Amino acid sequence: MPSPFLTPGVNAGADTLALLHLRRDQIMPTILRTYDDQNEGYSEGKVSNTRFGSFPHSTMIGQPWGSQIAASKVDTGSRGRKATKRKADDLDESTPGADEETAASFKQPVTASSGFLHMTYPTPESWTLSLPHRTQVVYTPDYSYILHRLRARPGCTVIEAGAGSGSFTHASVRAVFNGYPGGEPATKKQRLGKVCSFEFHEQRALRVREEITDHGLDGLVEVTHRDVYEDGFLLGDPKTGRSPQASAIFLDLPAPWLALKHLVRNPESGESPLDPNSTVYLCTFSPCLEQAERTIRTMRKLSWLNISMVEVQHNRIDVKRERVGLDAEGVRGATVFPRTVDEAVNKLRTDEQRAKRFRLAHMDGEEQFAAAKDDEKEKAAAAAAAQGPPVPVYNMGRLTHRSEPELRTHTSYLVFAILPRDWTEEDEQRCRQKWLSDIAELPEGQSGKSNKQMKREFKALRIKEEQEKKAQAKQDAGVEPAANPETKEL
Amino acid sequence: MHSYIRPNQFVAIQLPSDQTRLIQLVPNSLVQLGKYGSFAANQIIGRPFYYTFEIQDTADSDGYKLRVVSATELHAETLIEEAEADGEGDDQETGAGVPMRTNRQIVDDASTQTLTLQEIEELKKEAGGAGKEIVAKLLESHTALDQKTAFSLAKYTLRKRKKYIKRFTVLPLDVSTLANYMLAQRDAGRTMELRDEHIGLLGCLGNVHHSGESTVDALPAVKQNGRYLVVDETGGLVVAAMAERMGILYPHDEEDQEDEEVDDQSATTNVNKGDGEAQNTYPIPPRRRPRPMSADGNTITVVHAYSQPNLSLLKYFGYDTNQPDEKHPLHTHLKSITWLQLLDPTSDPILANQPSVMPAEELAAAKASKRTAYYFKRNRYERVKQVTKETREGGFDGLVVATLLEPPSIMKNLVPLLSGSAPISIYSPTIESLVVLVDLYSTARRTAFINRKRELEAQKNSDEDTIDMSSLFDEFELDPTQILPPTLHRTRVRAWQVLPGRTHPLMTGRGGAEGYLFHAIRVIPTAQNIQAAGTFRKKRKLEATSTPASDRDVEMTS
Repeated sequence: MPSPFLTPGVNAGADTLALLHLRRDQIMPTILRTYDDQNEGYSEGKVSNTRFGSFPHSTMIGQPWGSQIAASKVDTGSRGRKATKRKADDLDESTPGADEETAASFKQPVTASSGFLHMTYPTPESWTLSLPHRTQVVYTPDYSYILHRLRARPGCTVIEAGAGSGSFTHASVRAVFNGYPGGEPATKKQRLGKVCSFEFHEQRALRVREEITDHGLDGLVEVTHRDVYEDGFLLGDPKTGRSPQASAIFLDLPAPWLALKHLVRNPESGESPLDPNSTVYLCTFSPCLEQAERTIRTMRKLSWLNISMVEVQHNRIDVKRERVGLDAEGVRGATVFPRTVDEAVNKLRTDEQRAKRFRLAHMDGEEQFAAAKDDEKEKAAAAAAAQGPPVPVYNMGRLTHRSEPELRTHTSYLVFAILPRDWTEEDEQRCRQKWLSDIAELPEGQSGKSNKQMKREFKALRIKEEQEKKAQAKQDAGVEPAANPETKEL
Repeated sequence: MHSYIRPNQFVAIQLPSDQTRLIQLVPNSLVQLGKYGSFAANQIIGRPFYYTFEIQDTADSDGYKLRVVSATELHAETLIEEAEADGEGDDQETGAGVPMRTNRQIVDDASTQTLTLQEIEELKKEAGGAGKEIVAKLLESHTALDQKTAFSLAKYTLRKRKKYIKRFTVLPLDVSTLANYMLAQRDAGRTMELRDEHIGLLGCLGNVHHSGESTVDALPAVKQNGRYLVVDETGGLVVAAMAERMGILYPHDEEDQEDEEVDDQSATTNVNKGDGEAQNTYPIPPRRRPRPMSADGNTITVVHAYSQPNLSLLKYFGYDTNQPDEKHPLHTHLKSITWLQLLDPTSDPILANQPSVMPAEELAAAKASKRTAYYFKRNRYERVKQVTKETREGGFDGLVVATLLEPPSIMKNLVPLLSGSAPISIYSPTIESLVVLVDLYSTARRTAFINRKRELEAQKNSDEDTIDMSSLFDEFELDPTQILPPTLHRTRVRAWQVLPGRTHPLMTGRGGAEGYLFHAIRVIPTAQNIQAAGTFRKKRKLEATSTPASDRDVEMTS
């Protein structure tokens, strides 16, 4: 089954994961079913209920991804009785086959008068926002940077230790994906990208494995339940298993330094989990500085190179129109306050005059007072009309931006390191025979001088020529003006 | 991928001064590193990446002049310090033992270094040991060395070493290295000050990945996958970054295994148990000349403003747009189309003037040069026509943008070409243009748009009537119902120095553009009128105030 994460196709198929986009940051993952897999007893079959209405899956299956889906009228009240009844009836025949049979008999959903959502295919980004949290999640800004620095590209093998909630798993499998296993080998011999995920917590490992199957990623992700500090990174048996031959490693563990001893080129026992033909890129993810420092010390001892530590600072930005002005009364979100000093002065002046007029009118009696008030309203209306047609609300005020209200100010320290390929004396000798060391000619048109030197010499030559020319010109009487700016420049 | 240094490949050479040089390693040539000396390219070709070499003063018997500096040697000082710190850790904490050195006595002038400039110059000529001797001499002749604190001593040694030691490290030239090189040592504006973190996030938000094309045939009813639209004004850096993610940037990707096999057959068969099937010999397919821009899936379509796209940075990855290498994957997978061809193909000079088809006999009789010209024109016409056709048909899986053009004008023309659920990610060095763009998709504007559209639709009398929507688009530049949920991101990486007892963020860094990303998803609004449900906002007395009807919330999904 193709994974909706990698090859979603055009339309949402049955039994694939779809994300129901309710509103910003409210995404509901669901697997589309033609049958009532949880036996909830809706007469429309499987239904997803949201605060924006009920959505029978039959209204979504077969629709193009990204479609806006209208809510349906679903009877949520009477199903309780029904469900228990059904359960009792179907107890002996609750196989999916039997459910599918009933699929045809499901009621045709009736569109509700209000409510909708958008159905999108899952991406590692939207999945990260919607996934069930089991542990601290590695968020998009972190994993995007990590995968870029780890050079996790199509065809690579990635080791991930600490599968956790699976956000990094999904992001890394997208990065290394270059074909589903099991098909005909491509014309070119090519390694298929793969993620080898290790998880210490048995239940979490189980959950990740289920998710991988549900998401169509079987064969692309191999989940192993393992304590990597003790047992290392070989697939299958910890001692005699296959090497994953990884070129990129991500350790999201409390004590990464304990796992590093297994990530060497020539371990004392067993095979190395590293790709012998490639540089290995490593990243560890630790929230505390002490952890990072300790990891780095171990890395230095184990000959890792280009060790660097960074933290990713990311925030989202809210964009809003801000409207300030005395004429903004009644506009939602606007602040009624003078916009300029002039406006403030005018307001003070008119307020004073108006108060005075009212005082006078009041003394003249009720009628006059009411007339004065009406007069006031007319004036205001006239002023508004004079300004021309009103600016639509969406275009009012000044466009502003600010950080989202709640920030993640620290996620973790990322420690990156590199382990080059092993290079033996024999390799070196073979290379020396292939590429004779003492042949070295300068490429054509290049002297032994640097560009800077050559430029300097060229300039000197030009000055000399220029001077000679000048001397010549002087002899011929009359100075060439064109030569002047250039000499000045020098 | 980058398993060893290949001949004629571009590599990045990192110098002790932290400068990087991009060098094409032509076999049998000499590589000049300025004051750090020079070496023969042959002496590093075929070797692995990330090794640090020291240029020695005297060559081996076979003329080999480089020495590999081991990791232990590179880390020597820190390792010793760490070991010392472990040993005397208690002393330092209690404050007993040696009194702490401070910088109280240090004189802030150059008089403490007794070596004169002339002497140093002399030393440079004579001293051996690839600069190590000079550094040692300099430290020796420093009169106030014993007054320095551990920190200032470390700094002093490091500074001198950077200046004199003759070492270099060979790094593979990939997108990350190139981006950093352009940022630090070239005109950063040329690549719009793109940093690693932006490139990573741009690709992830754009959901750019390999489409698994080799296995796609096996899947029934799957459309062509992995077609991405790119607008790139960074000289090709964004295209390179996306190509890297899609596995079409490096020409030798799949050869690595092969080469190893030839090199040591026995070793690989043992090691590669995992993909044993793949090791079988396969028949070499008959070589066909691949047509440029002919790939169906896993492609990048670049839309460009001038008649030729500026993708000059791709040359570092072995792809020159002027003389494309037919074996390079970008030759077939990178397509380009001008805005004119996309939006108004009939006025494009290439598409408007179809070269007439010459009958075969006439062609055979024609002069060779004329025949070449004929084929060139015919092929170009066919190619442009094909690319224009498939681009205008749309159905793209993502849009990635880094451009000088106004973002709304791009959205207006390219969003309709995206398939549903396809992501849009736009990079801009500054925020202003993106803020304007987000505002064009604001909830208030979307609500007003929907209401206005309904009003227009209500005017329709019968089903045959077509509604003139032009007044709608006079008011609204973009259709705000086409995307969800527009989001702005800012991301920045902060680097730290981690040394025993001296861990802190780096003191200085590069300023300049902060870099912002816009992200949204293409959605397909339904034709029916749907009222939003589930708004839990307090009801306002709308009639009492002068709030226009358009202000009421119809859509609440952002």
